[in-house]
Amino acid sequence: MMQQDQLKSKPQAIKGSRLWLFALLFFLLLVVVGLNLSYGSVKIPLGDILKVLTGQEGVKESWAYIIQNYRLPKIATAILAGIALSASGLQMQTMFRNPLADPFILGINSGASLGVALAIMGASLAGGLFVPALNAAGGLGLILAASIGAGLVMGLILLVGKRVNNPTSLLILGLMFGHATSALVSLLIYFSAPEKVKAYNIWSYGAFSGVTWEQLHLFFPVILVALGILFFLPKGLNGLLLGEDYAKTMGLNVDRLRLLILLSASILSGTVTAFCGPIGFIGVAVPHIARNIFKTSNHKLLIPAVILIGAVVAVTADLIAQLPGSQFVLPINVITSLFGAPFVLWIVLKRKRGAASFNV
Amino acid sequence: MNHPLLRTTDLEVGHLNGKPAKKVVASGLNLDLLEGEFVCLVGPNGAGKSTLLRSMTGLLPVLGGEIEISGKKLAQFTRKELAYQISVVLTSPIEVGAMSVKELVAMGRFPFTGLFDRMSEKDWQIVHQALQMVGIEGFEERLIHKLSDGERQKVMIARALAQEPRILVLDEPTAYLDLPGRVSVMNLMRELSSEHGKTVLTSTHDLDLAMRSADRFWLMSAGGEIIQGAPEDLVLSGDFQRIFARDKVSFDSQNGHFSVANKGEEHVSLKGEGDARIWTERALQRIGFQVFDEIEGQPSLRIDIQEDEEGVYWEVNDKRTSQRFGSLGDLTSYFRSLKNQDNLNSD
Repeated sequence: MMQQDQLKSKPQAIKGSRLWLFALLFFLLLVVVGLNLSYGSVKIPLGDILKVLTGQEGVKESWAYIIQNYRLPKIATAILAGIALSASGLQMQTMFRNPLADPFILGINSGASLGVALAIMGASLAGGLFVPALNAAGGLGLILAASIGAGLVMGLILLVGKRVNNPTSLLILGLMFGHATSALVSLLIYFSAPEKVKAYNIWSYGAFSGVTWEQLHLFFPVILVALGILFFLPKGLNGLLLGEDYAKTMGLNVDRLRLLILLSASILSGTVTAFCGPIGFIGVAVPHIARNIFKTSNHKLLIPAVILIGAVVAVTADLIAQLPGSQFVLPINVITSLFGAPFVLWIVLKRKRGAASFNV
Repeated sequence: MNHPLLRTTDLEVGHLNGKPAKKVVASGLNLDLLEGEFVCLVGPNGAGKSTLLRSMTGLLPVLGGEIEISGKKLAQFTRKELAYQISVVLTSPIEVGAMSVKELVAMGRFPFTGLFDRMSEKDWQIVHQALQMVGIEGFEERLIHKLSDGERQKVMIARALAQEPRILVLDEPTAYLDLPGRVSVMNLMRELSSEHGKTVLTSTHDLDLAMRSADRFWLMSAGGEIIQGAPEDLVLSGDFQRIFARDKVSFDSQNGHFSVANKGEEHVSLKGEGDARIWTERALQRIGFQVFDEIEGQPSLRIDIQEDEEGVYWEVNDKRTSQRFGSLGDLTSYFRSLKNQDNLNSD
């Protein structure tokens, strides 16, 4: 047991070390962004990168082009996707009181995929009635379709999940929803024109590249709005940690809270899925990393923490996917799954040892 | 005269959306809870204690009748208004992960802090007072999941206190605790009421402890009726014994606790005084002997509690022999063997 005077001196120390941690993480983000700009199929020296970024002359034109039109938007996408998936995963883990909840595992990505599949391929099915309207709106239609798909599955899980009080059942529920939506997607594929199927398949591999500056003009504000909702939720999320009953007796409007979480989390994961394809494991892993690094489950700290860590993890995953020094680029899901699956396994085993779910 | 902080009129509680769609657990309840008193809701398992408490705290819909809190009907409270009136401690252990005691107790201020939960100096003061009241100041920075079950429950009570409610409602707060934990939590509830003037309503299965602590009982039968009264009155009227009646278990109205009713057919007389006598009696009752004073003369078995320089010993005399035992363990195993012999003989 700790000494009392030691305890009294602790709060200051914690506050200090946490600020330092945020600074460290930010520095880490700068480092991986720098590396990611530099490495790829061609290696570009740091000095030249800085020249391009600051708008100076004297850099190879092809390098400038690669940085401006390929690597920068890709990194921006990775950062946004990492933030969005992590923030979405954090909200779901708290709301479902389940350390394994994330958009991918609960089948919410599959819902988004179904939305996207409908948007890409549905035209030939629906006889061009309403789906083209989605496509006509360009990226926004896709975002809408994916978010609605994500929101629908999440709403369903919330409804049914109220009847199952056990974390494992909830995961199986998510798995089943995932299978059901995949079946619908397969049906769509079966009846669709080959070129549309190909477009869908390429999308479904998942990638941070391929998102243009123009699309980012849409991606960024949508994510910002969803994060804006989250900005108002730390108190409610902290209350939910004690369980719905306690939250209610503390005067929280739990129904409204759940609706806002549903809205924020499904826009976040739906939008990422629309632009980058289904990307696994970032959503489940990052909140755990944040809890372990910051030794807290207080959302006032966790939300900024997952935002920073999510960005670092996504940019790092993309960096590894480039296989620096080689001509190959791996799909991003290969990397997130290779690192993510053992991580989830570790969480499961840690639970088995009787440790409470969110403990660090 | 205190006025009731909480009063129910013909209250009907139960569950909706079940099978059948409406399941009434208890009805016709006319109860009141006075300011500053400590009331224990007791009754057999499944009587509906939790259902009643959950209905009173707005966690379950009321099926019929009225609940009035501070003179206003429950249905007219918003969640937030109700949070100013009632705070709760629930049975099930919480799983919050890495959260400090201070952070958790500070959640009690939720109804008073704004959207961003900014705590004022005064809020922290109230948190500190709550920690003091439950006797865990100095624990502020410790993590919840590193505490013992009893300490954790005290933190939950501190959280409920930080909410500054008019009524504190606890649903079996001692259920997961070990015996010292139970005693200490029950004591704490007693103190909150008698020393800090809090109104405390708790359900509990610890009848022994409750009987020594509560101002009044709400005694709930398996059928869902409730009789109110001072614990002692309920024992004297026989209601207590009736509601908890079970095969083989009876309430000993002289000692005020439950005992396994092996009313011994064997009789034994005992001579001796003090602690040794009390524990000798208990040991004998446990193995099914009825103990009489020495004067009876009737029983053929007689025990003398004696003491020499080595300590207490027991001398057992029957018609023929006299034996000496150095411990109650030896004594009881001898008596058990006597009893078995008798059983064999009578067969």
